[in-house]
Order: sequence, then C-alpha cells, then structure tokens
Amino acid sequence: MSSRRILLGFAAALLAAPAVAQAPAPAPVPGWAVGRPEGSTLAPHAARLTVTPLDQVPVGAIRLPPGFQAEVFAHGMPGVRAIAEGPNGTLFAGTRAIGRVYAITRNPDGTTRTRTLLQGLAQPNGLVMIGNSLYVFAVNRVLRYDNIEANLDNPPAPVDLTAAFALPTEQEHGGNHHWKFATLGPDGRIYTNVGVNCNVCDTDRDKFALLVSFNPDGSGRRIEARGVRNSVGMAHHPVTRELWATNHGRDWAGNDTPEDSLVRVRRSGEDFGFPYCLGTWADPQYNRGRNCSEFSQPAALLGPHTAVLGMRFYTGTMFPEQYRNQIFIARRGSWNRERLSGYDVVVAQLDAQGNVTRVEEFLTGLRDDANQRFADRPVEVHVLRDGSMLVSGEQMGAIYRITYRR
Amino acid sequence: MRLAGLLAAALFGAAAAFPAAAQDAARGAEMAAHRCANCHGDDGRSRMEGIPSLAGQPALFITTQMILFREGLRQVPAMVAFAEGLPDRDIEDLAAHFASLPPGPPEDRPARDPALFAAGQALIGPRNCAVCHLPSLAGREQVPRIIGQREDFLARTMAEYRDGVRVGADSQMNGAVVGLSDPQLAALAHYLSQRD
Repeated sequence: MSSRRILLGFAAALLAAPAVAQAPAPAPVPGWAVGRPEGSTLAPHAARLTVTPLDQVPVGAIRLPPGFQAEVFAHGMPGVRAIAEGPNGTLFAGTRAIGRVYAITRNPDGTTRTRTLLQGLAQPNGLVMIGNSLYVFAVNRVLRYDNIEANLDNPPAPVDLTAAFALPTEQEHGGNHHWKFATLGPDGRIYTNVGVNCNVCDTDRDKFALLVSFNPDGSGRRIEARGVRNSVGMAHHPVTRELWATNHGRDWAGNDTPEDSLVRVRRSGEDFGFPYCLGTWADPQYNRGRNCSEFSQPAALLGPHTAVLGMRFYTGTMFPEQYRNQIFIARRGSWNRERLSGYDVVVAQLDAQGNVTRVEEFLTGLRDDANQRFADRPVEVHVLRDGSMLVSGEQMGAIYRITYRR
Repeated sequence: MRLAGLLAAALFGAAAAFPAAAQDAARGAEMAAHRCANCHGDDGRSRMEGIPSLAGQPALFITTQMILFREGLRQVPAMVAFAEGLPDRDIEDLAAHFASLPPGPPEDRPARDPALFAAGQALIGPRNCAVCHLPSLAGREQVPRIIGQREDFLARTMAEYRDGVRVGADSQMNGAVVGLSDPQLAALAHYLSQRD
C-alpha cells in the first residue's frame, strides 16, 4: 500500500466518522471491574471470534444421562448464541461481539448448511420469529426482516422499529448489560430484558433491571418484572403460560454469593428485589435497609456466578416422560469466581403446582475442574419439532443436538 | 484470605478454552511480508506516522481487530482492502506471527520529555489503565499492549475513543478516556510510548 493511499484513507476516515453522541461520563473503572478487590485479576473470558475446525469441536467431551447422545448439528459459526426457528424449519442464531445473525437449514441428506445472514450489527443476540418475519434485537435497535425464509441468500432491507420500542441505548447503559434476549409469548407479545446499567448500583428501577413486553409493533410496553438484574433467557410455561426467566447475580460479592436464579413471574410487575436483595440474601452494599421478605422470591437458586442463560420447557416427546414440561437451562459458566462453576445444562424439575423440587445436571463434561479450563460455553437450548434438543456453544461456534434412544 | 495463590492458579489457566487452534506463525510471517510490512514495519515496529506497531501484541487482540475490520464493525478505510474476505485461518496465522515478534519502540521515537512523561504517568492510576491492560500495560488476550506504541497513534486513538468515533470489541475504552483534555491525552500518549 502506498503512503498516499493511507493518507487519503485517514482523510476519508475523518470525514466519514459517524457522529456518535458523547456518552455521559461513566466511572472510569470498567463496568465489569467495579468492586473488584485489590489484587484480584479475575476478568471476563475473552470471546473466540474465529471458526473452530470441526475436529476441535468438543462434542466428545459431553456427558449426558443414559440413553442420550450428543452430535454436532452445525458448526463454523463463531459466537453463536440465541436460537429462533422459522415456520419452514430454518434456525436463526444470534451473536454478540461478532455482530452476525446466522441461518441454518437442513440439506436433504440430513446435514446442515449454515449461512451468515446478517453482519455488522451491534450485539444482535435477541431473535424472535413471528409468522414469516424475523425480529432482530441489537441492543436498542429493533429490525424486522419480512418473508425471511424465502430470502436467505438475499435478505430484504429491514423495517426499522427502533423508535417504536424506544429501548435504552448502549450509552444509557454505560456499556453494561445492553444486549437483549427476546422471545414470543403465548399472547403474541414480544418479551425481552432490559439489564441493569452497572454491576450493582442505585439504578432507575422503572428503566433498568426489568423484564418487559411489547406488542410486535413496539407499542404497549408493559413491565412484567422489576428488580431482575439481567436476564438473557426466558420462556413461558406451556400449560400455565406463566413467564419464567433466568437472572444473573451481581459480581464481586464473594465466590459463593449471590447465586444466579430462576424467576417465576406469577403476575405482571412483580418485584424481585435488585439491587436490595436476591431471595433472602441482602446485598452487602445496596440493601438500603430493605427487608428481603418485601420482594418476590426466586423459584430456584442456580449456583454462584454460573451465568444462567437460555432456558426452555421441554415440550417434545423424544425424551423420557419425566422431562415433559421441565425446564432445561444453559449455564454459560463463571468468570467472577476463583473456581469455575457452570459450563453445563441443568434441568429444573417442577411439581404439579409449578414449584421447583430439584435442579439436576443434564449436560456436563465441558468444565475441567482439575485443570480449571473449559471446552465450550452453553448459551441457548432449543427444542426441535422431532423432540431432540439443540444447545448452542458460543466459545466454539457450534450447535450440538441431543437425542434420546431407549 | 488466601486469594492470591488460588487466583494465580485459577485465572489465566481458566481463561483459555482447552482445544486451541494450531496457528502457523511462519505462514503468517510470509503473508505479513507482502500485506502488512509496508506500513506496520518488517519487524512489526511501525516507522510510519499514525500506523500502530503490532510486534508483541497479544494474538487475540490482533485477531479480534482484524475480525472487527472484516465484519465492518471497526471502520478504517486503509484496512478495508486487507481485511475484506480474509479467512479466519489467515487472520490467526498473522496474529500468531505478530505476537511472536519482540516488542519495542519505533526507531524514530522522540526523546523523552520528563515533565510530559510525569504528567502522563500520573494519569495511569486514576484512569485505571492497569485494570484491563495489566499493571505491566503489556495487555492480555483481547486487550492490547500499549507501552512502546507510537505516540502519534496512541494520541489519535484515545481521542477517537473520547470523541465517540471509535468503539472497540466493547465500549470500555470510551469510558476510560471520557472527559480527558487534548493535553492530558498527549501526556498519556507520551508516557506510554516512552515505557519499554
């Protein structure tokens, strides 16, 4: 490259620079490190943004209960996370740092084909399919791609619904918990999270740390739950239609406190207590004299710093009857803890009243306790129409398929 | 608390997922000679104003930035032609090559200005640079080495973060430099460029 071209390039860069609004002054400590004790070097694990060759996808490390098998369903999709399914069976998968949405279709021989459907978006993790339209939630941007399954090779220009949804921007979040999970409710509304704009702080409790729902056009915003620090997975009970969600506990309050949790929303607007309380646990810095019994209690505690993400009720028939309408939960795995926790999929078992009676391990083997390493990070679970289950592995860019044979 | 020992054992070991792709630094060196050396220097130490040195940068930092270029998430016109359509393997090999080169200051590094150096040094603690870049400021994983970097590049990059015209893999740097004046950025850039 000639130096003249470089100079031209710089001139163009200056002229073409997007006019991003100046963020309000946040604390100069990076959000993830606020409250980190002196001397600690714990930090979030870096994402892998390059393709993991198939022979390095750690499907062989996966352990499951007797009768279950794991296979690689699709791979070569760096950063793959949330999954939504179209009426014709196309699977769409969101990401964070790499800014892509993938589309996965099945070939006649049963193998899969993956495409990079969309690129250059800011953390497009939230995906909802309504009819033939794919809704993409990229931080506060909401984009609707109509008739998408017929246009996988040439996606149409989206309808921009950002203004209608009016979600807080990345700047308003101060770069904290601004990515979205989104799902379609049985009432036809879109349910999503607005995570807290910090690790822990006195936040605007009408604006952040919420579960919210909208009409698909962005109107009719309703607060479904308050005081939920950050949920990146939710689903509605197939029988009771109640909203359930996973919730991440705060960082830097100890290796074993607070725990991540499972939230059951019995009525719209319930308050789960963040930042004051998580269950019966009073926050050591932000309790503000509140009695934790004021707040709704979590349906289950899911382990400290395990990073509970995608959750789905098992509605298929392939797995044994005991799994019907139980909740499969992906635990992406800890960084804010001396010893690794999570990196697995667990099952929350519900009794007839919808109370969680126990939480048991389902998919393990990705966490190496002896060497304190991990092989992959499960983020989403998705039940296919044949009753098999997909699990996305963000670190290795693969989707695993779990089947059962008696 | 016996945190320190446990942390040392747990952290950086834990940070890496266990199967690592085989990167080929020699192949990366060959590509770099044709694609990168003109601007970034044949030893990875830039002698060109405004162009960063890449020698000794963490491999994951180089990989991440190349992918942000390729995906159109970081926009530097001069890099478009080099990143467009570049396969992951090429990016990883280039990153392995530059990570393997010994870092060092550019040949044309100006003389140290003790007052400016001290002014920059005084900002490192309050701006929490070491939280991500480590106390050595040599970086780790996706976070770059900032010592020994070109002063002009550092000053311009920090101004771009401050002014909101650049984001990294996340927006942490925008917060880290928010509110700093041009003279403060100049002092920080001088201090960092003069550190070995």
